[in-house]
Amino acid sequence: MKKIVVEGLKYKYPMTEELALKDISFEVEEGEFIGIIGKNSSGKSTLCQALVGLVPHFYKGAYGGKVLVDGLEVRSHTIADISLKVGMVFQNPFTQVTGSKMTVYEEIAFGLENIGLPREEMRQRIDEVLKLMKIEHVKDHSPFDLSGGQMQRMAIASIIAMKPDILVLDEPTSQLDPAGSEEVFHSIQDLSRQGITVVMAEQKIEKIAQYCSRVLLLYDGKLVDFDTPEKIFSRDDLKDYGVTAPVYTRVCKALGVKKQRCDVYPVTLEDAELALRGTIK
Amino acid sequence: MTFLKSISLFVDRKSFVHDIDPITKLYYILFAIIIPIILPSFTISAICVGISILLLLAAKVMRKTLPVYSFVFLVLITVVIIQGLFRPGNETVLFHLGPFAMHKEGLLFALTIALRVTNIVSAFMILVLTTKPSTLVESLVRKGMSPRIGYVIVSVFQIIQEMMSTMSTIMDAQRSRGMETEGKLLTRIKAFIPLLGPVVLGSLINTKERAMALEVRGFNSRNLKTYLYEEKTFPYSKAIQAALLVLTIFAVAWRVFL
Ligand SMILES: Nc1ncnc2c1ncn2[C@@H]1O[C@H](COP(=O)(O)OP(=O)(O)OP(=O)(O)O)[C@@H](O)[C@H]1O
Ligand SMILES: [Mg+2]
Repeated sequence: MKKIVVEGLKYKYPMTEELALKDISFEVEEGEFIGIIGKNSSGKSTLCQALVGLVPHFYKGAYGGKVLVDGLEVRSHTIADISLKVGMVFQNPFTQVTGSKMTVYEEIAFGLENIGLPREEMRQRIDEVLKLMKIEHVKDHSPFDLSGGQMQRMAIASIIAMKPDILVLDEPTSQLDPAGSEEVFHSIQDLSRQGITVVMAEQKIEKIAQYCSRVLLLYDGKLVDFDTPEKIFSRDDLKDYGVTAPVYTRVCKALGVKKQRCDVYPVTLEDAELALRGTIK
Repeated sequence: MTFLKSISLFVDRKSFVHDIDPITKLYYILFAIIIPIILPSFTISAICVGISILLLLAAKVMRKTLPVYSFVFLVLITVVIIQGLFRPGNETVLFHLGPFAMHKEGLLFALTIALRVTNIVSAFMILVLTTKPSTLVESLVRKGMSPRIGYVIVSVFQIIQEMMSTMSTIMDAQRSRGMETEGKLLTRIKAFIPLLGPVVLGSLINTKERAMALEVRGFNSRNLKTYLYEEKTFPYSKAIQAALLVLTIFAVAWRVFL
């Protein structure tokens, strides 16, 4: 089933001249893990926000085309309605702290209180996401006393607890160390395997290559390509869009080693290793 | 900056006063304000103050009241002196203060005012010192106050606290680079002012992002809100509220018929 349908989406922020999104169309199936890549200011965050209705409802501005999330037309529904289906985690973990709760536990409860979840289920879900995001040990701390990484985990936990069908994440691991990022990607992959549709804007290209089923490449507000990581990162014109392929791909490209029985270069360490061993034999 | 670090005066203790729900405490404040208006006698006000002080003692928060009381008394003493010396209608001279005479009428009037103010301040302190601000606001939201207003009140408390800690982090950094941040008041103010810009501005810019983050967490949802914690109830709340009501009616009757 199509979870996300975007048709000819155009958007201009108020008081700006140029369109931030230019005629974007794509479709996402249930349970996919989509990565959005592109250089700075290419429109990644804007596209993410268009999926939860912050664009256009929060910013206003000029809007054209259509976005359907789980059959719901974004334009004609409130953010509150959409947020029951689509959860969004923002880039800056500090501004996602509500500032009205004394502990991490209560902070995660905030969204659940708003949507009117019964107390029993609330507690069960909070315990679940605390474990999933590995922040059980800080559940009684003040949200402001957490490290950047812990705050980021809490922000993700707060959204996951609301059990959206679609999870949109805008650079959710910017404050995490490599090991922490790896853990978070792993947890999100788990969710995706349970059938949640994931869309993530991210700069960490190696992670995108490793975890995403498809990658959406943006440049200057336009959709350049939307395909498997192998196809995207094997493109010869990547540099023109301000994106570099994963290091494994670059090495294999330099050596002219393609993925076995395919016309694309490997994008993960495992595939690169397989391909390189194949040539040695 | 420690003096600003905690803007909430709440003192976490175990006592039956702490266990009483905030709404009942609000009723008590109302009661403490109304009774001396209905029955303006000196004795009644004194009894009200006495009850409040007993409750503050029972709550084990008397020490925290001292700075507040000292401040209030400082203001009230000026009132007493000015009224005693200069109140129109002053006749009976009690004693002389240099060239001025202290009068009985002004003094009594000022003492009544002082007692009433002390009474109200004491009643408020019972609420403020024994109730977490967030608990109070949550009770009010449950009683029908807009959750938006509730959010603003609680988050202002929290965010000011956050700003204070940002500020002290920066001050520490400046001190370690040799800037003087302690000592004379003027030095302190000089160290403090350049921080206001970035800290306050930073908080303002964050407001937009925070508003978006609240939106996607269903802050404007039309669903009926639920609460993580059960409402704090005190077994004798209704009894206390009823007693306060009966006493008020009694006071009105007293005033009207006697
Ligand atoms: N609130 C806003 N008001 C006006 N213009 C904006 C606003 N937010 C973004 N833009 C503009 O829209 C374009 C796309 O920005 P966007 O933040 O979506 O890019 P991005 O790909 O997320 O960049 P980054 O990698 O830096 O996060 C940019 O030209 C930016 O200047
Ligand atoms: Mg961005």
